[in-house]
Amino acid sequence: MDFKDGGIMDRRREIMVGLVVVLGIAVGVVGTIWLQDGWGRDRVSLRAASTSVGQLMEGASVKFRGVAVGRVESVAVVPSGEAVLIDMSVRPDLIIPSDAAVLIAPESMFGDWQAEIIRRGDYDTHPYLEYPGEGVLPGVALPDFSRLTATADEIAQNLTTISERFEVAFTEETAQNLGRAIDNLGEVSDQFSEIIDQQAERFDALAERVDASTQELGAAARAARVSFERVDAIVADGQVQKLFADAGTGVENLRRLTENMDASLTDLQTAARQADATFARLDALLVALQDEDGSLGRLLADPALAEGALEAVAQMRDLLSDIQQNPRRYLSFSIF
Amino acid sequence: MLDFVMRPLASAGRGTVKTLGSVGRAWVLFAGAAGALRHPGIWGPQLVPQLARIGVASVPIALFIATFTGIVMSLQASYTLTGTIPLYFVGTLVGKTMMLELGPVLTGLTLAGRVGANISAELGTMRVTEQVDALETLAYDPLAYLVVPRVIAGIVMFPIVVLLAMTVGIVSGWFTALQLLDMSSPEFVKGLRLLFEPWDVWFAIIKSVSFGAVVTGVGCFYGLQTERGAEGVGRSATQTVVIASMIILCLDAFWAATLL
Repeated sequence: MDFKDGGIMDRRREIMVGLVVVLGIAVGVVGTIWLQDGWGRDRVSLRAASTSVGQLMEGASVKFRGVAVGRVESVAVVPSGEAVLIDMSVRPDLIIPSDAAVLIAPESMFGDWQAEIIRRGDYDTHPYLEYPGEGVLPGVALPDFSRLTATADEIAQNLTTISERFEVAFTEETAQNLGRAIDNLGEVSDQFSEIIDQQAERFDALAERVDASTQELGAAARAARVSFERVDAIVADGQVQKLFADAGTGVENLRRLTENMDASLTDLQTAARQADATFARLDALLVALQDEDGSLGRLLADPALAEGALEAVAQMRDLLSDIQQNPRRYLSFSIF
Repeated sequence: MLDFVMRPLASAGRGTVKTLGSVGRAWVLFAGAAGALRHPGIWGPQLVPQLARIGVASVPIALFIATFTGIVMSLQASYTLTGTIPLYFVGTLVGKTMMLELGPVLTGLTLAGRVGANISAELGTMRVTEQVDALETLAYDPLAYLVVPRVIAGIVMFPIVVLLAMTVGIVSGWFTALQLLDMSSPEFVKGLRLLFEPWDVWFAIIKSVSFGAVVTGVGCFYGLQTERGAEGVGRSATQTVVIASMIILCLDAFWAATLL
């Protein structure tokens, strides 16, 4: 046993001890900080409120769009017991939505839960807790697996009850009826298939007609389009205005013609009345002729007189002819 | 017939008295050691050498054991978790196990053999060769000179060695996961961080402090109780390892029951 160690040995020993102690403490501190995921990162605080937090614990992940952005710092029930406040620390550069909410849900199937910052509009059906306080995000916790299991168990019990009732209701007679119903259903199905086949042929013919009609309609539409294009061209060229002007002139002319015809009709009526009077006189004359009344009547009734008249006419014609040929024989004209 | 009945009872009584006597002497020893703290001039110069012997010299064996513990943990965790549970839980299992249990306990048991036996043998030899009596003759308080620096060194250095062993064990498990299990570093780290609590580290430190006190204290106790020459020295060393290991396991359960 050494009661006194040498100075150099003491120095080396002290250095080794100091080195190991410092190294051990450094490893413990650095490792703890690193495992806490808090190495050299600034954090800002967020607070959310919910009626329940499920299995969420201090240190759980805080995610935004599926990316881990922080961790839960504390979970505490408010004194009144009506809500649970969740304090979180997140990255300072995180820009959360204006309608942000916190959805507390299992992170995996192994019991670890997370708080996810979401847009409330994306999951608006959940019963978020609106807790009074500035900056407190509304939150909601989804049911955990135990509750889902309990619900599934309840559903299973209901299914068991239904199956038991089904077993009670499903007797041999029910089975036979069901078999017959299936057979009837098969027959109905066959008939329905035949009807469908028949109707299909009709539909084919109808479709052909519709196709032809469609083609005709298409041709008509094309023609109409050409006409409309022409009309459009006419309208564009100002020919319609000219046409309307011509039509106005025509109407004016027609109106004048109508007035003229009206006047002519008046004259015609006058002429008709005069003709009527003339015809009356002619009728009276003819009656007189028939009655051999007057010169003409006697002339017509006396052949000798008629022959003398014809002779006089012939002489008259000869005279006129001679006058035309020898005018100086009958006419003498002098100024002085 | 009467002797057949009385002999076991007498044996039980002797054992009880002996155990209670040992406990009493242990308390006397520890009370005396606590009282000897008032003599820093005696135990102070011995502290650094004991820190080096108990702590620094124990680092290699502790890291060796931790390295292979981490490797085995990683491989067994992957074997257990294959097919059903995500492989990143290998990181969780390695981290939690190394911090909460294997780091402190395996290191404590290892140092119970190395440090406890060493102290017991050294002090036992001093006792049987009457060096302890010589110290008293020279007006040195044997508890202040022999016990206090060793116990303080154990209390101080055990947590340091355990922290290093935990770190090396986790890193070796990580390395094994990368090389042999087709895991990526982000996967392992995700699992490592998944259920990590800073309290895990404090729990390991508290346990290792208690283990350091037990190993060095038991070693000092049985060393100073050594009788009957070299045979007694060997017996003291053996008793130290056995008793220290038993107390470590009992303390492990006690801390788990009270602190977790």
